[in-house]
Amino acid sequence: MSIITVRNLRKEFKVSKHHRGMMGTLRNLTTREFTLVKAVDNIDFTIARGELVGYLGPNGAGKSTTIKMLTGLLTPTGGEVVVNGRVPHQQRQLYVQRIGAVFGQRTTLWWDLPVIESLELLRHIYRVPPDRYRQNLHEFTSLLEMESFLNTPVRSLSLGQRMRADICAALLHDPDLLFLDEPTIGLDVVAKERIREFVRHINSARGVTILLTTHDMADVERLCSRVMIIDHGRLLYDGRLQTLQDRFGGKRELVVDFAEPYPEVTVPGATLTHYHDLRATYEFERQTISASELIGLLSTQYRIRDLSVREPDIEGTIRRIYQEGLLTGDA
Amino acid sequence: MWHTLLLYRRLMSVQMRSQMQYRTAFVLETLSTAVIVAVEFGSVALVLNRFGGIQGWTLAEVAFLYGMSETAFGFMDMIFAGFDPPVFGQHVRRGTFDQLLLRPVNITAQVMGSEFTLRRLGKIALGVAIFAFAVQANQIIWTPLKLAYLPIVMFSLFLFFGGLFIIGATITFWTVDSIEVMNILTYGSSFTIDYPMTIYPDWIRRFFTFVVPVIFLSYYPALYFLDRPELAEAPPFAPFLSPVVGIGLLLALRFWHFGIRRYQSTGT
Repeated sequence: MSIITVRNLRKEFKVSKHHRGMMGTLRNLTTREFTLVKAVDNIDFTIARGELVGYLGPNGAGKSTTIKMLTGLLTPTGGEVVVNGRVPHQQRQLYVQRIGAVFGQRTTLWWDLPVIESLELLRHIYRVPPDRYRQNLHEFTSLLEMESFLNTPVRSLSLGQRMRADICAALLHDPDLLFLDEPTIGLDVVAKERIREFVRHINSARGVTILLTTHDMADVERLCSRVMIIDHGRLLYDGRLQTLQDRFGGKRELVVDFAEPYPEVTVPGATLTHYHDLRATYEFERQTISASELIGLLSTQYRIRDLSVREPDIEGTIRRIYQEGLLTGDA
Repeated sequence: MWHTLLLYRRLMSVQMRSQMQYRTAFVLETLSTAVIVAVEFGSVALVLNRFGGIQGWTLAEVAFLYGMSETAFGFMDMIFAGFDPPVFGQHVRRGTFDQLLLRPVNITAQVMGSEFTLRRLGKIALGVAIFAFAVQANQIIWTPLKLAYLPIVMFSLFLFFGGLFIIGATITFWTVDSIEVMNILTYGSSFTIDYPMTIYPDWIRRFFTFVVPVIFLSYYPALYFLDRPELAEAPPFAPFLSPVVGIGLLLALRFWHFGIRRYQSTGT
């Protein structure tokens, strides 16, 4: 059962042309020329209940425009959006009752109020029954380790604390669907990990569907089995992260420590990139040879003390996809 | 509806409490809004005393206009502060307006609950004091109709300025920054009606009769309350048009909702 259905979704913005110089200023005043920017250009996808999907793309690719349409903040230029059985921009008040949204860059909490009072206020805004509120509050505050700063005003929180409070705030009313926009931006490694663990928990234990946009590939690797990649307003990829990695990931590496020095250590199917002081590094491609075949070949010829396989990092794969336009041909 | 009202009350009390947190700042700001009015009216009073009035209006009579306008505008500025165009423009620019749209509550109530400038109590207190002085000094002949009509006039003024704030806030959807023209309309008209309309040239009087019809909200009602001779020359219904301003407020709200729809279709 799909919770999000998007068909031929489009969003165009009119951007007025600005001419430079004195004559240009005059032209700006007298004529209104527009260029049409296609922020989102005919995208289709569905997301099933309970999925946790990563939505990726470089800055200005159309990510936030999509999220704004999915949350009802923007009216599409064309196409169809149905989320949770409703058209977001048409039934705003009813629709937002059942969703949660966290925008990492800004807070939904009241700046001068202690965290707990902000949460209490949200209880009234969403009309959460008192029992349910207490239960959720108890669970979230202990999982997110929020007890120590519940009575601190939001303005005095650290970024990590504020983010945890915001995530908690977005879930108190038991939303079916949660939009997370850069929930780990600017956080240290420990804080990031804590948030990831929590996100995974509410997805698996509570079945909350989550759409996550992020620039942090570790978030994606840890959390999302499915990713969607958007660039220049077009959906370039929708599928498993691993498939993407298999197709576009760079070369894998095998590092071998030999038990004794050998003058010659080349092996067919792999390229020797580095050999020094008993340690050799080979690059090889998944399609050409598997790691076990390669290790087998090496161990028949040489005595090996230790070895390790290094997978190409997803960060690099995604960077290459954006920069080299690897997916543009086959969307 | 009930839920919205209760929530508005909660949001308002949040605003009040956060302002009270900085007690010294709050007291100083409250005093300063009062001092501004005091200095302004004080200098007017000095001049009028020296010249014995203006165009046949005594100081006490001018105080009636002045107190009425300052009190109504003060209340409006406190309660409609969320719609104050520069403040609201900031919400749009910083994306905090989006946060309000993500909540399942009437958006107008949320904007009104997003700001509540309690420090305006200083201005209000002084406005009330000036008005009380005017009522005292003018020896108004109170009739039941006058007594009943006074709160209506005050409330209409309050709503009128609120409507102007809403229009100004809506315009920031297009301009993002608040525009100076709006300040001329809001602060300009509140300043203009502090004084009898007879002191202004014709075109200003026409502007505030036909374009921004604030003349019906303060000047004409004042003629009626004070039994001024100008009343004879005015159309007999002129002092009683003030409740009609309610229609103006409805138009402002229509414009506001139109602005939100257009904001949703264009973003910023």
